[in-house]
Amino acid sequence: MSGSSSIKKMLQAGVAATVVTMAAGISTPSWSAEAREELRAAFDKTLKGKTVAWAPVWLGVLESEWTRVMKAHFDDYGMKFEVRDANFKSDVQLQAVSELINEHPDVLVVQNPNVTLLARELKRAMEAGIYVVQVNMASNTLSDAYVGVDARDMGRRLARNIIDDCGGGKGSGEVSILEGEATAAYSLDMKNGALEVFKTDPTIKVVSSQPTSWDANKAGEITATVLQQHPDLCAILSVWGPQAAGAAQAIKAAGKTDKAKIYVASDGQPADCDLLEQGLFYRNLSYRADTQGEAIVDAVIGLLQNGDKPGSKRIAYYTTPAWVKSKDDRAFCFSVPKDAK
Amino acid sequence: MSADSARWRLRKPSQTMAVFAMCVVLVFVFSVALKGFMTVGNLFALARNISILGILALGMAVVVIGRGLDLSQVASLAVSTAVAIIVMNAGYPTALALFAGLLLAIAIGVLNGFLISVVEMPPLLTTLASSLAVLGITRSTLVPHYVVYLAKGHDAFLQLGGNIAGGIPAPLVVFAVAALFVHLFLSWTVAGRSIYAHGDNPDAARLTGLPTRPLTMLEYALSSAIGYVGGVVMISETALMHLQVAESTLIFDVIMVVVLGGVSLVGGRGNVLSVVVGTLLIGVLLNGMTIMDMDVQTQNIIKGIVLLVAIVLDSYLHPRDEETSKQGD
Repeated sequence: MSGSSSIKKMLQAGVAATVVTMAAGISTPSWSAEAREELRAAFDKTLKGKTVAWAPVWLGVLESEWTRVMKAHFDDYGMKFEVRDANFKSDVQLQAVSELINEHPDVLVVQNPNVTLLARELKRAMEAGIYVVQVNMASNTLSDAYVGVDARDMGRRLARNIIDDCGGGKGSGEVSILEGEATAAYSLDMKNGALEVFKTDPTIKVVSSQPTSWDANKAGEITATVLQQHPDLCAILSVWGPQAAGAAQAIKAAGKTDKAKIYVASDGQPADCDLLEQGLFYRNLSYRADTQGEAIVDAVIGLLQNGDKPGSKRIAYYTTPAWVKSKDDRAFCFSVPKDAK
Repeated sequence: MSADSARWRLRKPSQTMAVFAMCVVLVFVFSVALKGFMTVGNLFALARNISILGILALGMAVVVIGRGLDLSQVASLAVSTAVAIIVMNAGYPTALALFAGLLLAIAIGVLNGFLISVVEMPPLLTTLASSLAVLGITRSTLVPHYVVYLAKGHDAFLQLGGNIAGGIPAPLVVFAVAALFVHLFLSWTVAGRSIYAHGDNPDAARLTGLPTRPLTMLEYALSSAIGYVGGVVMISETALMHLQVAESTLIFDVIMVVVLGGVSLVGGRGNVLSVVVGTLLIGVLLNGMTIMDMDVQTQNIIKGIVLLVAIVLDSYLHPRDEETSKQGD
């Protein structure tokens, strides 16, 4: 529907309402219908034609789902949506963000690879009058909105669960941590959160904490070695699903699937639930990328409608993760609609 | 060169022997210092962990001996195993799916060889470009999200990543068979000997009538195909293929193992034993560092030092001269 036809409709509605009011000689009840029309008109007026630029670290499963949800909403609202996939290369991402700022979109949505890379550019964006939304990891520069998990808190929750199952004599208390990329803050925060909790229980012993570079094979190799040294290993805490799949196969090859249990911080990708249902993962602490995508959309349209000066507010939308323990918890993994790509 | 090198060997140990000696020292130190290093279980775990790297290095060695370099090996295996998984998931027989992947891997290798030998592009740039191309095409058409999982119920195939009788890891057996195959090929077939000649002096090889163009295509096809075997072991161990492996440092680890063991980048030198010894040294090192739960910075420092020592050794044993200084200096 074009802008002029909606204005015409508004006028028609306005005229009709005036006529009705005059004829009936009463003044109040009819304005509510008019106000509801106005609400939508104001929404459309604020959002239509606005540009949202999106710079993820790469377009993996999680990021693609965010992108799909964002695109569906922004298309519906008549907004422009631009995606720049940096494919895990930080120099490319930095350049993409700089270019995007020069193109001056209305809102810039970024996923930080670490806490420093984009910090300066995000500040520049807000100074240039662009709203900045950060997703799943905040950088050292806080911005108008943050949407995502609290990685440190996820680490704490996973650790508490592991203590419940492995600590205090219920298990050997031996835990191995599979980190992601050594320098990724998402992984570091989660590890530090977990260690903070593990330290409180003397029966827990972290026997290994190694980065896997998000690689399933590397995770499998590390796990095979750790299992040899610690045959009574009780739990593996993995910061990401796909790499934990490699560890799960190593445990299976060692015939210890029921003894060494895998606890995964999951971004809700369907395969993570599949692996749990196959008994390869024991617990997933999962957040759903699709509902997170909707939170990003909410943050974007909230900022645009609020109209505050970019850089003046610090609004956070923390994701609440949920435990996946069996196939009954399938709802906490998202599923990509068949016709969506 | 053979009479020369025989005299060299009398005076100085070969690099392979020197690296083997380093390896023995390391094993001794770890056995004394690390509880749980010298156990059958850990040695099997060690063997399992180096098998894939070793298989890839065997393929790379064929190309390097022919004075080339294949930077697309890991990308090629990632792409062809991803295709094999997709075909398996579609319900086709496992053997057929694996064969389809193999054909793709060979095709990528032959294409590399064609571009290098017929179009006469430099190997470094050719294989770098082809790895980006195959990865990009696969990602935009078949694997949009970078990870492809093997569907449930391929248990027979997954046993390839498990253990056989007595706890011996199946990947080790694959490595051993591949090593034997490559050894027999390189030392007992005309094509194998021709690869040495090709690497030792490409111009002389062509002038004496060796078909250097088909030979180059064969070298790259073998690198890609043997790499694919490593990739198949990889997916049998994890039941997934994460295409990002093609952008990891794995390819440099492979080259490191090859060079470390004494397959010189100048071509025509080294053999399967060099690759096995190089793989062993890296394997022992990584295993020991994992047992010690060393942080990643320290691990990188140690890896870097070992590589530097090997390069110093290489230049001491094979001093740069007119014959060799053309490449890589």
